[in-house]
Amino acid sequence: MSDPTTNYFVSVAEIAAKLDQATHIAQQLSLTASNARAVALRAGERAAGFRPLTDFIDRLAEITISSSKKINLLASTLSQTSADKVRADDAIGHFHSVYVKAKDSPYIHSLDEQLELCELAQQKLNTKYRKQIDQLKDELAMLSSELRNAVILATLSRVEASQAGDQYQEALINVADNVEGAAGQIKEHIKYSQQMVSTLEEY
Amino acid sequence: MKTHKLFENGSHTWLMFGRDDEKPEQIIDTNQYIIITKNNALLMDPGGIELFSAMLSAVIKQVPADKVTHIFASHQDPDIISSLGLWDQALPSATLHSPWIWESFIRHFGMESITYAAIPDEGSSLKLDNVTLDYIPAHYLHSSGNFNVYDGEAKILMSGDIGAALEEVNAPIFVENFDEHIDKMKMFHQRWMPSNSAKNDWVQRVRKLDIDMMCPQHGRIFKGDDVKRFLDWFEALDVGIIANSG
Repeated sequence: MSDPTTNYFVSVAEIAAKLDQATHIAQQLSLTASNARAVALRAGERAAGFRPLTDFIDRLAEITISSSKKINLLASTLSQTSADKVRADDAIGHFHSVYVKAKDSPYIHSLDEQLELCELAQQKLNTKYRKQIDQLKDELAMLSSELRNAVILATLSRVEASQAGDQYQEALINVADNVEGAAGQIKEHIKYSQQMVSTLEEY
Repeated sequence: MKTHKLFENGSHTWLMFGRDDEKPEQIIDTNQYIIITKNNALLMDPGGIELFSAMLSAVIKQVPADKVTHIFASHQDPDIISSLGLWDQALPSATLHSPWIWESFIRHFGMESITYAAIPDEGSSLKLDNVTLDYIPAHYLHSSGNFNVYDGEAKILMSGDIGAALEEVNAPIFVENFDEHIDKMKMFHQRWMPSNSAKNDWVQRVRKLDIDMMCPQHGRIFKGDDVKRFLDWFEALDVGIIANSG
């Protein structure tokens, strides 16, 4: 993890990378849902209770993928905003240095208008940056809450799997494990991202 | 950053900025030039990011910011124009004149407001109030798209990396003894300039110009007979080799 006190724009890029991984895991979850449906179909009546669960797994995968993509896009946009913010801060820093170095120049105030515009642009970027952080926090919280259902779904899947008979039991338990595993991994990424986002609020 | 007046008449002034004793040690010392006419100014090879605040401070002591309407970048190197993203904030209405082949590369330095005026391979001219400046092709010397700026009225050629020498930051402004100066520029020209035919083509083109001063981007300025001495020396030099490569 980079030091967010000095490299906040790097931290934002790291969040974007983490959430990109979450999208890939969510896609695996979608495959698990398809697999679960196929197994439940083969198991016939003995897995009758399992079939509705596959719809829930599917829905969870869909929500996770669409939310991960949205979060990923938000993080990428935030990454661009923070890079723009660094550039604006840097330019203003240089301008201030010129005001010191050339303080006696008769033309020093010819820079005033540009400095003012740069500071205005900087303020706008700061507002945009904060708004994007809030959006990212909200979306992360929403996905995290959705993923709580994964644990319930995995437990129910195990119960139904135990009634599907020896031939299919292992495959269905495997589905439950995959759902729980994928949700757990995504939650870890979200938790990491939430921690990183909270450090970004200072900037 | 020191400022030296190279030329002045009723219509315009040439200034050189350089010998920056405050620059970080690891970066090469560069010469920047500005031509100031009645209502405009052309800033040439304004330098890298590290130099920006020193350069803008030096410029602002001479002219108001909104008078710097044009910037010239002889080629795409970082010591020439990596400060572009910051000039873009300081001079948003300015026009950048640079080789056409480098436009999409130079924009990587950050350019949202400044206008890019692509110079065609054969060169072109810029009218700055009543002063006409010519972009003289200097391709492959050293960059594959490269120009010099010639001012026929002042008889000054801003030659970019041609004539450059690697020197101490406190070196004199002008070449004082050409023969002694050769050691400081020989390796640079042999290593950085890749083509004898491009070099000889440039020498022939420049011999036709009336030049009192040849101003490179690093090192010292050539004056009077030293300009011809440089052209003779450069013509005879075998370039595109790695000297002492064993």
